[in-house]
Amino acid sequence: MIELQNVTKRYGSLVANDCVNLQIWRGELLTLLGPSGCGKTTALRCITGHQRPDEGRVFIDGQDVTDVPTYRRELGMVFQNFALFPHMTVYQNVEFPLMIRSLAREKRREMVRDALRLIRMEGLEGRYPRQLSGGQQQRVGLARALVYRPKVLLLDEPLSNLDAKLREEMRFEIRELVSQLRMTAVYVTHDQSEALALSDRVAIMNAGRLQQVGTPREIYEQPANLFIAGFIGLSDFFEGQVVAVEGDRAQVAVRGLELAVPARAGMSSGQPVTLFIRPNDVVLMDESADAAENAFQGRVDKVTYLGDIVDYRVLLANDLELRVQTDGRKLYSPGSSIQVCLPAERCHVLAQ
Amino acid sequence: MMWDTLRRYVRGLWNGRFILAYTLLVSLSLFIITPFLLILVKSLGKEWFGYRWLPPKVTLDWYKWAFEIARVPEVMKNTLIIAALAILMSTTIGICSGWAFGRRHLPGKEALMSIVLLPRMIPPITYALGVAQIFYALKLVDTHFGVALAHVSICAPFAILVLSSTFQSLDDRVLEAAGVCGASPVRTFFHVTLPMIMPGILSSMIFTFSTSYNELTLTLMTYGPDTITLPVRTYLAVGLGYWEVTSAMSVILVIPSFLILILIQRRVAPEKLLGGFKGL
Amino acid sequence: MKKWWTKHSTLLVTLLLLLPGFLTFFGLFFYPFVTTVLLSLRPEGQKTGWTLQHYITFVSEPHYREVVVLTFTLAIATTLLSIFLSIPLSLILRRKLRGHRFFRTMILVPLVVPGMIAALGLLLIYGNRGWFNLFLRDVLPFINGPLRINYTVQGLILFYVWLYFPYTCLTTLSALEGLDPGIEEAAEVSGANRWKVLRHIVLPLIMPGVLAGSVLTFMASFGAFSIPLIAGGNFRPLAVEVYKQIEIFIPGRWSMGSAMAVMMGLMQVLFLSVYMRFFRTERIQ
Repeated sequence: MIELQNVTKRYGSLVANDCVNLQIWRGELLTLLGPSGCGKTTALRCITGHQRPDEGRVFIDGQDVTDVPTYRRELGMVFQNFALFPHMTVYQNVEFPLMIRSLAREKRREMVRDALRLIRMEGLEGRYPRQLSGGQQQRVGLARALVYRPKVLLLDEPLSNLDAKLREEMRFEIRELVSQLRMTAVYVTHDQSEALALSDRVAIMNAGRLQQVGTPREIYEQPANLFIAGFIGLSDFFEGQVVAVEGDRAQVAVRGLELAVPARAGMSSGQPVTLFIRPNDVVLMDESADAAENAFQGRVDKVTYLGDIVDYRVLLANDLELRVQTDGRKLYSPGSSIQVCLPAERCHVLAQ
Repeated sequence: MMWDTLRRYVRGLWNGRFILAYTLLVSLSLFIITPFLLILVKSLGKEWFGYRWLPPKVTLDWYKWAFEIARVPEVMKNTLIIAALAILMSTTIGICSGWAFGRRHLPGKEALMSIVLLPRMIPPITYALGVAQIFYALKLVDTHFGVALAHVSICAPFAILVLSSTFQSLDDRVLEAAGVCGASPVRTFFHVTLPMIMPGILSSMIFTFSTSYNELTLTLMTYGPDTITLPVRTYLAVGLGYWEVTSAMSVILVIPSFLILILIQRRVAPEKLLGGFKGL
Repeated sequence: MKKWWTKHSTLLVTLLLLLPGFLTFFGLFFYPFVTTVLLSLRPEGQKTGWTLQHYITFVSEPHYREVVVLTFTLAIATTLLSIFLSIPLSLILRRKLRGHRFFRTMILVPLVVPGMIAALGLLLIYGNRGWFNLFLRDVLPFINGPLRINYTVQGLILFYVWLYFPYTCLTTLSALEGLDPGIEEAAEVSGANRWKVLRHIVLPLIMPGVLAGSVLTFMASFGAFSIPLIAGGNFRPLAVEVYKQIEIFIPGRWSMGSAMAVMMGLMQVLFLSVYMRFFRTERIQ
């Protein structure tokens, strides 16, 4: 549905988008995720037409729109700071795109009513944006973007200006709306939990480059590189060296301790690698429990009780510090000796 | 012992601070408004030679005099024509410069702003003589256009100040949103940009009107028999010494200013008016 | 050619937009000012020849020195009085008592009204037979005799304050309202009583605002024209003196008047730049 082909955009010496190739399928919600300054907003603005790529082309619904101005691209957009027209009422704001397209007044009224019903703001048509709360303003922004059923809906960090609780509610609403209307949507955010919760697919960007595109599960469980592993979720990282490769298993030495990990193509003995494991994949066992694969002696250093999870800092024999999170059914106290098990399947290997 | 009484006195004062505050405020208001009240009363009084609070007789003679002999309607017409011309020119200048200041990146913007405000800071008398000389040479004296042009020198700075602020606060994202909604740049301008800057333009027009309407110094330098404005006429009357007629003309002169004041204070909190000068 | 145009079009449009402003500034302010300067360097009534005579006269003759002293006295006194009036006024007004909007509007009155009308009204009120002296006679009879206010320096200062204190008051009020209330609360928690908070926290913080406004008041009172013209009597500050040069004397002494106007302008620019330098360094602290 949307395609960015080799899109490159520079601001002076800064390369905001570096040869970005991205395809967004019809009917999916794809999120552009990344830290501030990674280029996700620039990519979005190339799609909307507010930026012109220095190189590359932009396609919407099969058509090359690189030279088409914004107001002819048939898009809908929701802004971070709402961008409602301050001199118009809610009704007039939502009606605006229809008025521009010269639809008949009756038709306009019907469509505006529908849109307001979708976002559950009937009865507030006469209010001005300054009389509305942040959440209400954002919903009006949504209605305005959807009222004429655009081909694509674009959302530029729409929830950043709302407080935490509201953000979660709106997340569901947006997801529901987009599914219900079977829209193609591109969502931009720096909040990874938002991205994972909302999207069909996630495209991670860093420093102007596309790092990985995949479903939330793929991104979380099989990050393609160190940056993504560190950006998504929590990770414990280890540097090590491959000792031996045997079939589907490899032995990696990390500061004296040997771990068995799944072997990856191209691994060879002596190769330096980076391992990581998610803190909630690490298993803590009593000192006396039976030995298991990748189980090591350790000592609990710090315990933080967070209610639904318990966060531990654990020290292994080789002075390796691990962050571990468990569900709290069994509590270990600081200073106690335990066994720390890193199940091989949950260890991820990244080439250096 | 004395400290005790002093302390008790101060505390009494402090406890009564409510009353004290209101006393101060009311006295101040009286201080400000009584001159006008007295002018009003004077303009309606007959055979009043002081030593009494109010005149013994009430009359409209002075207003009649003002209308018929001092020819106030004609003078008012001059004043308004000149003000209209000044508004037109100043607002145009203000829009152009304001757009440039507010939306384009300019080096040394602050310094430029101070320079723009210079004609307002330095009293007009310093360059009024030069203006008079130039206008004599260009034969602009005693023309409506000429006097209006002289007014522009002190009206335009404020117009520029207000409109720069207006354009600066124009949210780009709202304009982008209009584009996304399908409005071409032209339609965006008429449906979105213009309504959003209207309040600023109106504000600038009001200030320009007020400035031009009350202007005396530059007008004295550039006026002639055909372009007598109300302030000039009143000044000439003061010179003649007829306090009552002068009062009547002053009342007429002052009414629009008060109207504008009421208009302004409804829309804008008074302190914000000078907000632009904080940058000094 | 077209490429150059598209690349530089924004810049050209910006310059075009600034053109009217520039023209206005140069044509209606700068050029006249230069003309005034040139005029001041010519011998009286002649179109050729240069002379510094007028400036020398201005600096040496005691009459003109008195004028300058008078102007400064008036301006400084007005500014100080305005500050002393504005600070308590603003402190009261910021509490938003009942009817505060009315009082705030009152403060605007001197700004929108032509100075001449104000002068007229003030003369009427404070004349020997005006309401003020009537008030003294009837309500406060222990004060002796009608107070002479009109046509004295003190009276003139009073009139100046009437007209120009709003500049100081509005910026002070604005500064006060821009204060973060958390700061005062923090001071109170630290043990300071209201008076100490005022002295050590509030006043220093609003000083920039107060000063900004008082600069306006000073500049305005230094250049005051319509009020002293009508109500100054024998006291003629600079602006009026300049005007008199071309009105009283026949033929008008344009050159002398110009010289005085130039000196006046210079003094103001000097004051402004000194103030800016002082103010800027204050701010950096």
